[in-house]
Order: sequence, then C-alpha cells, then structure tokens
Amino acid sequence: MAGNRGARRLLTILLIAGALLWLVPIVWMLSLALQPNELLARTTSNVAWGLIPWPFTLDNLGYVLSQGLTPRWFLNSAIVAVSMTALVLSLSAMAGYAFARIPFPGRRVLYPLVLAGLVIPEQAVFIPLYTMFADWGWHNGYAALVAPRVAVPIGVFLMTQFFRGIPNYIEEAATLDGAGRWTIFTRIMLPLSKPAMVTLAILTFLYAWNDYLWPLVSASRPEMFTITLGLASLQSNFADSEGLGRVMASGVLASLPVVLLFLLFQRQVVRGIAMGSGK
Amino acid sequence: MRAIRLTLSLLLAAVLVAPAVAQTDITLGRFFGACDVPNVSIDDAVGEACIIQAIIDDFDRSDNGVSVETLPTDWGNYYDQIKASYAAGTPPTVHVMHSLAIPEFASLGALADLSDDLAAAGIDVSDWESTALDAVTYEGRIYGVPMDAHANLWHVNMEIMAEAGLVADDGTPLLPSSPEELLEHAAQVSELTGKNYLAADFAQFPIGVRLVITLAWQQGSELFSGGVANVNSPEATRAVETIVSLFEGGYADARLDYADSQQSFLDGEAAILVNGTWVVDFYVAQAADPNVALSEYYVADFPTLFDTPATWANNHLWAIPVTVKSNDPERYEAALALLAHINDHNLAWSRTGHLAVRTSVLESDAYASLPHRDEYAGTVEIARDIEPVVRYDAIQDVLNRELQAIWLTGKPIEQALSDANDAVQDLLY
Repeated sequence: MAGNRGARRLLTILLIAGALLWLVPIVWMLSLALQPNELLARTTSNVAWGLIPWPFTLDNLGYVLSQGLTPRWFLNSAIVAVSMTALVLSLSAMAGYAFARIPFPGRRVLYPLVLAGLVIPEQAVFIPLYTMFADWGWHNGYAALVAPRVAVPIGVFLMTQFFRGIPNYIEEAATLDGAGRWTIFTRIMLPLSKPAMVTLAILTFLYAWNDYLWPLVSASRPEMFTITLGLASLQSNFADSEGLGRVMASGVLASLPVVLLFLLFQRQVVRGIAMGSGK
Repeated sequence: MRAIRLTLSLLLAAVLVAPAVAQTDITLGRFFGACDVPNVSIDDAVGEACIIQAIIDDFDRSDNGVSVETLPTDWGNYYDQIKASYAAGTPPTVHVMHSLAIPEFASLGALADLSDDLAAAGIDVSDWESTALDAVTYEGRIYGVPMDAHANLWHVNMEIMAEAGLVADDGTPLLPSSPEELLEHAAQVSELTGKNYLAADFAQFPIGVRLVITLAWQQGSELFSGGVANVNSPEATRAVETIVSLFEGGYADARLDYADSQQSFLDGEAAILVNGTWVVDFYVAQAADPNVALSEYYVADFPTLFDTPATWANNHLWAIPVTVKSNDPERYEAALALLAHINDHNLAWSRTGHLAVRTSVLESDAYASLPHRDEYAGTVEIARDIEPVVRYDAIQDVLNRELQAIWLTGKPIEQALSDANDAVQDLLY
C-alpha cells in the first residue's frame, strides 16, 4: 500500500517535471517578447537563462500591435477559422449521417473512397489545388483560404463513427412519430452528436488558425494575410538575428487565441486527441 | 454668370486633364524585411530594409505618375511566394531576386528580357561592373538590373586579435595565408585569450557551403562545372579538412547557427566572424554601443589560404515578369523607371555594407569614405559567383546537408562528399 502511494507520488512528480519542462519554451518566448531587442542581440539568457524578463519592456508587443494591418490579419484569421469550422461541421455531419444511416446505392464504395483521402498527404495535392484556384481567379480571397480545407475525411470519419454509435431505436421512435429524415437529423441526431461536433470544431479551428503554408502561397496581398502570415512578414532583417523580441512578441500574440481556446475547451481537445482524431 | 462660366471651365479642364495625371499602379515584391521607421528619408535610413524602402518611397512620392505598392513577404519563404504568384499569373510588377535564381526563372521564360529597353529608361549598362552584368545575363540577354554584390567577409574583433598578438604594426589584423597558419593563429587566440578564433553559421544557413566553395576556388577547383559534379575532389576534401581542423582543435563551434554566431561575435567570444557584407553597418552601430562587448571592429577581405584569392559572392537584382512586358506596356515602362531610380541610388544602398555595382559609384570619393570600406576594398576583385545552374537551390541544400552531417554528426568526410557528389550530379542533368 505504502509502495503504491510512493510510486504514485513519484509518478506525479515526474509528470509535473515533464509539464514544467514542456512549459519552458513558452515561458521563454513570453520572456523574450518582454525584453529589449538591443539586449537580445547580445544575449538571450540575461537573467535565469532568459526566463525572467529583465530588463522589462512592452515595446515589442506594442510594435507588433501598432502595425497598421495587424488587426486586419487577426480579423482575417478569425473569418477563415470560423468559416472553415462551420463548413467542416456542416459537411462532415451531413456526410457522416448519410454514411451511417442512409442506405443509398454506392455507399459501400463511396465511404472507403472518402476514407482513402486520409492517406493522401496535403502536399501531394498542393500544386494542382493551387493552379485550379488560380484558374478560377480565387486567390487573394477568403474563398481560396477556406475552400480547400472544407472536405475533411477525418471529419466525415469521426461523425460517421459517432452516428453509428447512436441506438437505432431513437430514430425509429421519431419516425413513428412522423418525423422526416431532415427533422430527425437536425432535431435529434445533431443535438446528440454535440460531443463529437465540439471536438471536431476545436480541432478544425486550431488547424485553421495555425495554418501557414496554404495562406503563404494563396494570399499575396497584405490585406488578405492571416495572422500567421502577417506576423511573419514583419521580420526586420536577415535571419531575424536583430529583432528576436519582435519575433517572440509575434508568437505570443498569434498563439493567444489558441491558448485561450484550449483553456476553455481543454476537456474536449483532450478527448479529441484521445479519439485519435488529431490531424 | 462669370463665376458659373469660370467654374464650368475649371471643371471641364479638370476632366480633360485627369487622364494625363492618372496614376500607374505597380506592385513590388521584395525581401530585406520590413522597415519599422515610417517615412524615413534615403539619407537617414539605416539597414537594408529601411534604405531600400526609403528609395522606393522616394520614387513613389515623386511626381512621376507612378504609384508603388510594396507587398510584404516572409523572407524565409520569399521564393515560394514569388513562384506561386508566377504560377497564378499574378506576379508583382517588379521584384527583387538573387542572381543565383536567374537561370531557373529565365530558363522558364518567366522574366522579361530588358536588354533593349534599359538605355531608353536611363540605365547605363556600360556603368555596371562586368561581374554585375554577368550576374543578370542569361544566354546573352539581360534579365535584371543589379543592385549590389554581396560577398563573404572576415569581421574582426581587433581587441581579441591584439590580445593574441595578431595585429601588424600598421594596425591591421594579421590574417592567415595558409591552412597551417590558420591553425597557428587559432591556437594563439585560444591560448592567449581563451576565446574562439572563428565563428560562423555552420548549423543553419549555407555559410559553410560558401566557405567550402571559396576554399575550393582558392585551390583552382570547382564543386561542379559544365554539368559535371566534382564535390569529392582532393581540393574539396582539403577545404573541408581545413574547416574541420578548427572544430577539432576547439577553435570554433560547429553548433552555432546564424544568430548564435553573430551573438558570439558581438559578445566578444570570437576573434573572427565569417559573414556577409550585409551586416557591416549593423556591426558598426553595435561596436559604437558601450553595452556591446565588441568595441574595436574591423572588416577584412576573405584571406587567401591557398593559391588563388577568392571569396563567395552573389548579387541582388531587380527583375520584371515577362507578362508585364508583353501585356502591359504602361506598367512595364513604370517598372523600368523605378529600376532606373534604384540604379541611381546605388551609393545609398551601398551604405548597408554591400558592394556597389556601378563603376562610377565604386570609384567615387563618397563610396570610399563609407565606414570600413577601405578595409575590404579588395573584395570586389576577389568576389566570385558560382557557375549559373538551374537547380542551384537544390544543390546548395544537398551540400549544406552533407557538410553539416560532417561537422555536426561526425559523418566521414569521404563518405559525405561522395554522397553529395552523387546527389549534385543528379541535379545537374
């Protein structure tokens, strides 16, 4: 008994140590963001390996926030992330429900085809996708930033599996009461699928917010940059070796919404990862 | 009545004149970073980002009927963005690039041939240094307006060199003239000061590649030439061994990346920093800062360790997409006018530390009086560029990977150079 308690205590200590270790880069980023660039050009470990922001300054955060387009870039990221999340949820829920509950012809072929999308790396379709959007003249617009990420096989898979787990009798009872397919989907199945929807929403939002590569090539006009792209464009010299504080301030600001989202919905995020649905 | 007639006349005149003063809008793509000093004048600007932006803004503000919008870009992914914009058919009207990239872009037919239009735009090609002209020429045609040559230099901390007894009577640093002397000097610095002899980015950007290329050139050898790879030559092996001997002796740290190596130099932890021309004005400012350990700064030409003087160099240049020339003559003309303006301000751009490309600027008193310029005046004579090849970017990546494998993971030199040779040969087909 005492041995078990000792082992548990040791495990707890190890986990806390691991968590603190994981936090070091984040604390370091925050600390460097709050130190003057002139100092950081000479040393990044002034006090306590640089983990304590001394001397302290808000100049770097102020600089990033004062750039004319920074609010616009935040707005763009919000529009893209929210639109993408809403569309992924709608499409995945409808497709998932159809695959799970509607015995339409070709379902047994179509569903594996959708799942096959899971093994196609994003980079493999990057160039055709890019040229297709170029042909349509969509680049430098919200549609081009959102559309390529809307058809997400993992979302369809997640929702299909969830709908399959809902007992049939619930749907049968609704049918007996005269509910049609759409009513059953919107009034019964969707409310029941809230846990899966929340998980999918959070993962999609995080992915959309952090996305860099696609906005990098699709958006060339500054007014269409997302926050990740915009902040990267504020680099002031080669290799960013003279403006570390601003780089770190950019990182702090860009990650703030994501950190807040995680703090608010950490249970669902953890559940989503546990379900193996991390992209 | 007269007032009404006058008003109507003025309105009519305004309508008639309007097309004559209509603005031609052009977009400009560049790296060099964002300038954080708004509306800075050309004379007051410091550093690459602000000097080039001041030159562009000066053109934008002048009464020439052209409006320039600078598109901010992420430096690290600049070429991905530019290539994507070409693929989409929406490249900027004018953009900066390196001469290393000319063969790739020009061979695809992406760049406008400027050969016959430069003189009319007021750009005197005969004033360009021959190396600069070569840098923007592909298969006999001119595809860009060169802005500078940037080369590898030896940035020197004279305080450490003096402590190590490596300063000549005339006050210049004593630099090595052979690999053996390099090690002697390094040992001297280590023993007498406890500092590293040399710092450079060996772990991130391809500065190590440029070092090896330079040392191979100094032995009369190329890493590739005429479509044939020559990476595992005795000369390349000797070049790598020279660098590795510094690590083995504890005189340099192979793990330093760009920022770390620079920080090490500014902190007074290394006597020499191998870096480019683009940091000269920054180090001058740092050396003047009493809080910075580096106080006595000197810039030297890359020393000749073997037989032939040479140092790696490349050029920044401005190019115009072929579609602008073929589809939009008005914008093409506006872009050429901007390039002429940039060409006219070659001296201002040289304040960064870069080498001017115009002979008239290079020979001017104003250029000679720029800080430390006389100390590395010889660089313009020894600066060399690699042979133009379409896939140089990929070749450089291969070389960087294999060289870093040697000094960061201990991969045998012979094996790494052999692997690099095979990969480079594949890329030269």
